[in-house]
Amino acid sequence: MPATNDANDYNAAAVVIEFKRVGKTYRSLLGNSVKAVEEFSLVVNAGEIFGIAGPNGAGKTTLIAMLLGYLRPTYGSVEIDGLPARQYIERSGMGYLSELVAINPKWRARASLVRYAILAGVPEPEIDGRVSFVIELLGLAEHRDKKVKALSKGNLQRLGLAQALLRDERILVLDEPTHGLDPVWTQKFRDIVTDLRRPDRAILIASHNLDELQRLADRVAIIDRGRLQRIVSTGYDQISTSAASRFRITLASGDDVMRALLPTAEDAGRGEYDVTVNSIPELNALLADLIGRGALVASVVPERSALERQFREAVGETQ
Amino acid sequence: MSAESTGIPMNRTQSMGSALNRGRLARYSLWQFRDFWWERGIAILLIGGLWGYVVLEPLRLTMGPQWTAPNSPAAGMTLQLASAVVSLAVLIAVNGIVSTDRKHGYYRFLFAKPVSPVLFYTQVFFVYMAGVIISMLALGGLLRTILPTFNVLNFLIYSALIYVAMGGIGFFLSVATRFDWLTLAAVWLGARILRGVYGPRGGWRSKLVELLPPVHKLDDVANSLIANRTAPGTDVLWLAGYGILFLVLGLVLIRKGQIAD
Repeated sequence: MPATNDANDYNAAAVVIEFKRVGKTYRSLLGNSVKAVEEFSLVVNAGEIFGIAGPNGAGKTTLIAMLLGYLRPTYGSVEIDGLPARQYIERSGMGYLSELVAINPKWRARASLVRYAILAGVPEPEIDGRVSFVIELLGLAEHRDKKVKALSKGNLQRLGLAQALLRDERILVLDEPTHGLDPVWTQKFRDIVTDLRRPDRAILIASHNLDELQRLADRVAIIDRGRLQRIVSTGYDQISTSAASRFRITLASGDDVMRALLPTAEDAGRGEYDVTVNSIPELNALLADLIGRGALVASVVPERSALERQFREAVGETQ
Repeated sequence: MSAESTGIPMNRTQSMGSALNRGRLARYSLWQFRDFWWERGIAILLIGGLWGYVVLEPLRLTMGPQWTAPNSPAAGMTLQLASAVVSLAVLIAVNGIVSTDRKHGYYRFLFAKPVSPVLFYTQVFFVYMAGVIISMLALGGLLRTILPTFNVLNFLIYSALIYVAMGGIGFFLSVATRFDWLTLAAVWLGARILRGVYGPRGGWRSKLVELLPPVHKLDDVANSLIANRTAPGTDVLWLAGYGILFLVLGLVLIRKGQIAD
């Protein structure tokens, strides 16, 4: 899997978001300082779903706060469509879901969306339709008249996502978007994001959830201790050029075939075997052999996603 | 379910002109007024009403016909009470006017929309000013029912002046600190005490306290304005100018500083 630190060589013609050697240092009144982000450069292109992954305290939220112009970089600059980030947002806005959904708890769910729709610039005659649309899309119909403080964590998260989708934004920034969502809504969220993909739109997702980024993002920036460690493409085709990978193969029948064909496979019990292959073609050849000899393959799952392996390498936790 | 599958046309993102920006903000002012009413206006009316009732009603009952007599002390007491209620109302109105959004993170969704925080908070300041004046109109109207000589119009002019003077400083403190209510009360009281102690003495301390908010002019303005006369122009200018200066400083701080803490 290719990893590069050169963020600027990726289809520069369609650049939407650009971090230019950005740094952010927090200073306390007592003179203590913490470097949250250092020398961070990144380009996100139109049409991309781009992930940002990193351990706790890596600087993801600081980066996003600078992208929205809520924090000023100590040095460097953040630009959107060639404009300073804050200037772009005040002119055009963006869809944003923050990690902590903070909406006045006294507001009612639907009324809060009407407020945000007004501020977002949804034309007056379309507000009702647009608000109803996102309420339906996010399954909030039965909660529409509840006060925000009465919403569960998951419903609040969905309300946060609903307000981000009120307008047809060119840029969407989603910080830990599935935090607090149950598995059903996590899957629905993925479907929604997939539907939002468009050639002129850039979607930035910051998440701890590597599996989610692996499924949704085209590229993922791995950051640690405020620095960009590497940018990873998430396509599985890339695995053919990478180091050995382990997969768990589950057989409905044919354990004897597996043992005869691949004695080195580790038996994990109940028809599950862990096998190591060097490429996707090698894996496929093995599966073809197994099936050809009468085994019934129920599932094939990578032990770790390609992204997870890169992540562990980048943050120094390689096993 | 995709946007396209719903059949609802998605409105395209466009750069918002400043006129459009102001139009949206103007529409949003109704929601800001609603917030003022539920979160502050009712409290101002209840506190002002109860305070007035508890202080004035026993006096009115005790004084009987003398209450409305030409040289009755009722007018002076009502004036003092009205002046104090206005100050309290302004304190309630500007408490957390900016800092609440920052403390609780409400700014995150608000200012991801195509909205200028400077225009947004300027509008909040003036919407809340309207709210204070309407609240004072209600309380002034009540006062007039028990004291027919009470001049409601002058009372409202005084309320507007105090809102600008005290509210402007409160606005600045709300941008600069999270503890704005406490700080504003301390600044207001502190200025009054320091001016009282060092003002008349002369010397450098006396000159220094001149820089503090001109709270000492409040009594003169209240006495002259509410009591049916015109207020001294320089005092009014001092008060309004001081407040506007700090309002502008607060807005500059929003523009040049960081929205997040």
